[in-house]
Amino acid sequence: MAVYPVARTEEIPEGTFKIVQIEGRSIGVYNVKGEYYAINNYCPHQGAELCKGPVCGTTLESQVYEFIYGRDREILRCPWHGWEFDIKTGKSLFSDKVRARSYPVIEEDGQIGIVIGQPKQREGTEGC
Amino acid sequence: MLKDKQETMPVIDCDVHNQFRGGGDLLPYLDEPWRSQAARFGVPSAGAPYASPVGNKRKDADPPSGLPVGSDPAFMLEHYVNPFNVEYALLCSDSIIGISGFADPDYAAAICRAYNDYVIAEWFPVSSKFKGYMCVAMQDPAQAVREIERIAPHPDIVAVCVIGGSRMPYGDRYFHPIYEACQRHQLPLLIHPGAEGGGIFNPPTAVGYVSNYLQWHTCLPQTYMAHLVSLVCEGVFEKYPEFKVVLCEGGVTWLPPLLWRLDKNFKALRSSAPWLKRMPSEYVRDHCFMTTQPIEEPNNLKHLDMMFEMFDAENMLLFSSDYPHWDFDDPTQILRRLPEEKKRKIFSENARKLFRL
Repeated sequence: MAVYPVARTEEIPEGTFKIVQIEGRSIGVYNVKGEYYAINNYCPHQGAELCKGPVCGTTLESQVYEFIYGRDREILRCPWHGWEFDIKTGKSLFSDKVRARSYPVIEEDGQIGIVIGQPKQREGTEGC
Repeated sequence: MLKDKQETMPVIDCDVHNQFRGGGDLLPYLDEPWRSQAARFGVPSAGAPYASPVGNKRKDADPPSGLPVGSDPAFMLEHYVNPFNVEYALLCSDSIIGISGFADPDYAAAICRAYNDYVIAEWFPVSSKFKGYMCVAMQDPAQAVREIERIAPHPDIVAVCVIGGSRMPYGDRYFHPIYEACQRHQLPLLIHPGAEGGGIFNPPTAVGYVSNYLQWHTCLPQTYMAHLVSLVCEGVFEKYPEFKVVLCEGGVTWLPPLLWRLDKNFKALRSSAPWLKRMPSEYVRDHCFMTTQPIEEPNNLKHLDMMFEMFDAENMLLFSSDYPHWDFDDPTQILRRLPEEKKRKIFSENARKLFRL
């Protein structure tokens, strides 16, 4: 396990993100409502650069013919096929088994660090 | 994410979408009285009656020039064609694809003429890798035939493109003069979806209008099934034995069970189509092609392998990416399980033969 310093907090204001390179991996560091999250810049479906996709909200679980918009700015949508991922966990919104890799983030003294190599990380599943 | 060219198999991409920078692109090529009309009120279209929640385009394909997605030939070469080892990008107009759904047959035919001159003048000269499809408007087969006569001799035109949406099944005798012209010029007819249910077309499914893009897009194969059964049973391939049809972007795996059903019915109901000399599925195998994108993605990928065994996939499939649309298939990512030789046929050799490239 190692913590990689990647940015100062002021470099990634709320609602923005930064792409960083760590040991050959491209990782997007997102500031969602004041909290930082790190997600692999690689879609588990066909390998698009996930972080080129829009950050958005989505429709929440609802009754038939009811549309409830929510989770605004918490969802990352793949730029190719529109798959939705929860920025906080990397999980896709359609299956627990499909996820983009996410990394723990540590914020200390205005410094953002990404933790690589924790055993609890899970790989993204193969799309096709 | 640059792809390693060395590891990429050569690709003939049978569905790449070129876009207008704006409606004004067409004006210099449009005949009067349409030109003045379009200059003042815009180029008419009859698009899909649904809106996709993710939009129609990839979100990472905007040209740095600020031009709309798919409208900058130089960027298309740099972003997709060259890095993915695309030998030929076969251009399929996005901007006017739905024009057969517009009610005015003369205006629609004029727009097709203008588009064909435009793509020949402004896209093909940019790169020898660009070839493509001419468009005809299906409202008036006589004008469509005249347009095929005019444009077909151009060496970079490799097929005649029409849309899946229609007022009647494509096997209908109303359309036969178009197929005769296609055969005469050795151009396949390529059917591409995009405006089913729009304009003057029939509803997009056999039971009418579904509620949204999700359902519409999923049901597109319905249209293709009806066109295909009609083309075979109306005897189009008996009348025009050299005529070929490409079913583009309509799915792949629905084909085997449809043909089983058709062949079974034919054994009992053959007297309805006495002009057919072979089983219906044999006409499909010899005359029809399907493009791969959007390839079906079953959870168990072996199931896709099995579907491919149920028809002559290695000879009937043509690779397509749909660049730069939202449901783009990456040639380095799909069909990776196919043996090299089958893959080579699907990714380039079948198209090379069909389009005489």
